This record gives sequence, structure tokens and C-alpha cells, in this order.
Amino acid sequence: MISSLFLSVTLLTLSHSEVVVKTLRSADIATGLLLTILGLLTLWASSTITTTMEHRLSPRALPYAVGLLVLFCGLGIAIKAWRFRGPDPEIKWPDRVGIRTIIVSLVSVGFYNALMNLLGLPLATFLYITFSIWYLNRAKWLTALLTGLICGIGSYYLFIRLLGLSFPEGFFFKG
Amino acid sequence: MGFSWDYLFQGFVTALSFQNLFWALVGCFIGTLVGVLPGIGPASGIAILLPMTTVLPPTSAIIMMAAIYYGAMYGGSTTAIVVNIPGEASSVPTAIDGYEMAKQGRAGPALAISAISSFFAGTLSLVGLTFFAPFLAEFAVVFGPPEYFALMFMGLSLIISLSGRALLKGIASMAIGLMASLIGQDPLTGAARLTFGTATLTAGVDFISVIVGLFAISEVMINVEQRISTISRMEIGSWMCSWADIKQCMWTMVRCTGVGFFLGLLPGCAPSVTTFVAYDLEKRLSKHPERFGKGAIEGVAAPEGANNATSTAGFIPLFSFGLPTAPSMAVLLGGLMMYGLQPGPMLFATNPDFVWAVIASMYIGNVMLLVLNLPLVGMWAKIVVVPFYILGPLIVFCSVVGTYSIRFQAFDVWMMLLFGVIGYFMRKFGWPVAPMVLATVLAQMLETSLGQSLLMSQGSPLIFFTKPIAAVFMLLGLLSIGRGFWLQMRSQAPEVAMDEPD
Repeated sequence: MISSLFLSVTLLTLSHSEVVVKTLRSADIATGLLLTILGLLTLWASSTITTTMEHRLSPRALPYAVGLLVLFCGLGIAIKAWRFRGPDPEIKWPDRVGIRTIIVSLVSVGFYNALMNLLGLPLATFLYITFSIWYLNRAKWLTALLTGLICGIGSYYLFIRLLGLSFPEGFFFKG
Repeated sequence: MGFSWDYLFQGFVTALSFQNLFWALVGCFIGTLVGVLPGIGPASGIAILLPMTTVLPPTSAIIMMAAIYYGAMYGGSTTAIVVNIPGEASSVPTAIDGYEMAKQGRAGPALAISAISSFFAGTLSLVGLTFFAPFLAEFAVVFGPPEYFALMFMGLSLIISLSGRALLKGIASMAIGLMASLIGQDPLTGAARLTFGTATLTAGVDFISVIVGLFAISEVMINVEQRISTISRMEIGSWMCSWADIKQCMWTMVRCTGVGFFLGLLPGCAPSVTTFVAYDLEKRLSKHPERFGKGAIEGVAAPEGANNATSTAGFIPLFSFGLPTAPSMAVLLGGLMMYGLQPGPMLFATNPDFVWAVIASMYIGNVMLLVLNLPLVGMWAKIVVVPFYILGPLIVFCSVVGTYSIRFQAFDVWMMLLFGVIGYFMRKFGWPVAPMVLATVLAQMLETSLGQSLLMSQGSPLIFFTKPIAAVFMLLGLLSIGRGFWLQMRSQAPEVAMDEPD
């Protein structure tokens, strides 16, 4: 639930950032305001921390301090940028193809992570590597397939068999 | 506990074991590779591999990671000289004269003098590290929780120097790092904090996810966006420089070692700063300054030597005080903590076998790097042609596997992705990344020592000012913060980050 929410928010932010934030000044105002909201949220969340005993350092103390710091920094950055009247450098955003490539790359990592428990590390790795290399260079489908195979099988033998790490094996390699 | 030949000898015995030699070689190889490949800095390289080293014993793991760091300093010059693309920010001055030499068909001698100068400066600085670090640690052995807190406070004030002119952004970046570390359970009371009612967040955010996301994933995003494909090739020519070249650079190597070493002891003086200082000094001292920028071999030897001297000197504050002076050092500090090793004054007393083995391995690593770099320059230069459409997915694969293997939770990979996206926007908006890393790494020590100190003083914060050593650190930290704010208030320019990738 949290993961899909995070991915959706990220993709939405990425695809619209070019439109909303064009210069460093507007970026500072936007991030400053975002931090202010984050600071307020942190302060609210800090007030809900339960304190059952008397402590020299209350569990609320540091979260409060950090919340205040984020709040004031956010306000400071936003106000400083708002008042700034000098040359305002433009942010070099990628073109539409660049944005699409980043989004597809991120989504594929998301799928890789989500599929790892379901399919196991070797198969998920094979799918991720094959797709990513093919997506970044369509002409190299054979390289993609071979690299995917090497990484998938290699990850099984290196991480699961040799190093004995508790990665999900998936139905192909189980038993 | 101070310096002893016995300890050093024991260190060499440990470092020369087959296992440690092997991992040092692997580290040197990966480090050179990281240095050669543009877009992957040493901090990212260490961050990607950090979680994957959990299967190794602590000494072997840190030997390997240290080798990656100073190996990257060797390798960074290759692309700078051969194709005018500095692999690291610290190799920028090398490209000025190195590429000119390459255009004149002297890429081989340029690469060779770069390796020789790196070896000379690295080894000489290691001698400094061997004798200087235990001395400092001996002084710091009387540290209790208040001194530690004051030291951590001073460590966080390094953000002033790591932020460049973007001070407010640096502090905000630090605050977000601290916030990420506070998510989860209170270490003293066990109370859930900043979890916003979700059970998933109770486990907390592991600092490895933050580091790998900020460095590796955001770097891949930037490279994907720019659709980087391959880098062109150039003839290397003869691979060895002449004796005359070495003699010409002798004093340059001595001077750049001094500059790199002493500046490297200062917080915030990353190799990318000291290489410029060393290059500029050589140009000023040269009888023929007009040759600089047109293929002067001293213009290659100076920054490359300073580079290695600085990276070696950075281990002194790291081992003696637990203070990272550069982003890569902060990642290494994270590595030490991951293994339950507490860098700082007690490291020399409680883990002498570990610390001396790492120091001894650095001597061996320097020799390995010379051997790796001198005859294999042609091979390293060819590695830059690995297409990004293969390299990018492989970096992500290593990052995902590495992050997942910390706690075997998909949640950590989601966090890595989140911090990757945050890192991408931070780079776009000119935010320094290093303060966030520093804060994430120091947060736990800071909180624990603060809690213990307040317990000792029955809640009075005056304890940090009544104990002399703590008071000095607090004062230095406050002065550093005050100076940063003063400079910020006087500056009329927009906030621009001076973020050092190494």
C-alpha cells in the first residue's frame, strides 16, 4: 500500500516537475514550502509520541527539535528565494523522452522489488536486467537476454548458494 | 595504545593473510574501475558494495572498502587524461595538462606519472597516518559521553563546510537525514516515533538505504536522463614515462604530498579542493608557468599526488576521532558502524588488530595499485567504452541486492528508491547531499551520547561546557556554525551548492 502510494507520488512529481519548477528560485520556493509542511507534520507527529516514564531525554525532544529545524529551514529557504532579485539560473530538465526513460526505469526497479518475493531473486533479476537493457537500447535484445541470463543465474549461485544469503529463491530454483 | 612497531608488524601479518590480500586486491581493482568510470564516484562505489560485504569479516570488509576509496583516486585520472572526462571531481585539474599530453601522443607517460605520483604521495602520507593517528587517539582516550556528544556536534557543524554557499540547504539536508534516522523506535524507551501510525515504519530507515539511494540511484537517473552511451577511444602511445620525466616531477611530488596531507586533515577539504590548490601552487612555483595548460607533466603529477595524500590523510580524523572529512569518509564511517566498530579514540585501544591491519593493508594496496595501474593503463582506458545501457541496470542490480540483503526486507529497497528520487531532485536544485549522509550516519551516536550525558548531569546541558575537552569541541562547533551564518548573511548570491562527490 505504502509502496504503491510512494511510487505513484514519485512518478507524478517527476512528470510534472518540469512544468512547475523552471528556475532555481522557483525550485527553492517550492522545496522551501514543502519542507515547511514537512516540519509541521513532524511537529504534529512528535506530539503524539507516548511518554510513559520520566526521562532525562524525552522521546519527544529530538523529533521536536528536528521538526522545528526543518520548519525554519524551509521557511528560510522559501523567503530567501522569494526576496531574491538577481540572475535566476534555469534548471536543466530532461526532454520528454528523458523523463519517460527515467519513469520507466524507476517503475521497472519498483517491479523488480515487488516481484522479488513472488518470483525469487534469480528470475526477478533476469526479467529486470533483460528488460532494462532492451529498453535502453532496443537493438541489443540479444545482449539484454544474455546479460539477464548471466545475472539471474549468477545471482542464484553467488548470493544464495555460495554466500548463503536468505534471498527468496522462487519456484524455479526451489527444491 | 600509541604507536608501536609490534602493532604495525602484527598489522602486516594480518594484512598479508591470503584472505585479506585477496580482498585488498579486489578493492583496488573495483576502486580503479570506479575511478575510471565517469559518473560513479568513490562514495557511490563504497555505498553500493557496503551492504554486500556483510558476509566478510570486518577487517577484510574495511580493507576492501578503504582500497576502493584510494583505488578510485588512482583510477580517476585515466578518463581525465585519455578522453578529457574526469572520472571524479578531483581529477579535473589532471585533465587540463593530461589531455594536452594525450593529444601530443604522450597519454602513456601522463598515465604513468599519475600512477607514480599517486604511489609516492600515498605512501608518504601513510607514514604520516601511521605515526600521527595513534598520537591523536591517545589524547582522546579520556573521552566520555559528553566529549563524544560535543565531538558529534562539531562533526555535524562540518555541514557548514560541506554545504559550500548553500548553508540553509545544507542544514535542511542534515535535518532530513536526522529525521530519517529518528523514524522507528526510541532506543531508550522503545516508543514508536514519526511512524505516522504505520507498522512498516516502526523498523526504522536503515542508513544504507539512504546512502545507496542518494548516491547510486540518483546518479543512474542523471545518466539515464542524459542518455550517456559510450566514450570515444584514443591511442595511449608508449605506456612508461622516462627517468627525465620522473626527475622533473620529483619536487612536485614532495610538495603536493605536503599540500594534500595537511589540507586533508582539515574537515571539508576534499581531494577535489586540494588538487586545485596543488596544481595552482606548482604553476606559481614553476620557472615556466606558461607550459601549464599545454601539456606540462608536473601539471599531472601535482593534482594526482595531492589527491592520494588527501584521501590518506582523511583516515587520521576518521580513525582518531570518528570524524569523516569527506562524503566518502562518511560512507566508510557507516561501514565501520555496520560492523559494530566505534571509530574514535577507543578504536586503537579496543580493536588494535583491526586498525593496524587496515593501515598495513594500505601500504600493500598502494603497491598493488602501482602494479595494476602501470602496465594495465591500456586496459583501464578501454573500460570506459562499456555502454551505459549495460552499466546502468547492473549498478541498480547491485544496489537492490545490496540494500535488500541488510534486513531482507523489500521496504529497504523502497526507501532506497525514495532517497534516490530525493537525491535526483537535490542534484537538480543544487542541494548538497553530503550533509544528509553525515547526519544519517552520526545520528545514532549523537542521540546515545546525548542521552547518557544528560543522565550523568541529571538533565543539565551545562555538562557540555563544564568539561574542558567537551567545551572546546562545543566552542569550535558553535564558532563554525556562527562563521557559516555570518558568511551566509553577507553573501548576496543565490544559494549554490558546492557538493563534492568524493
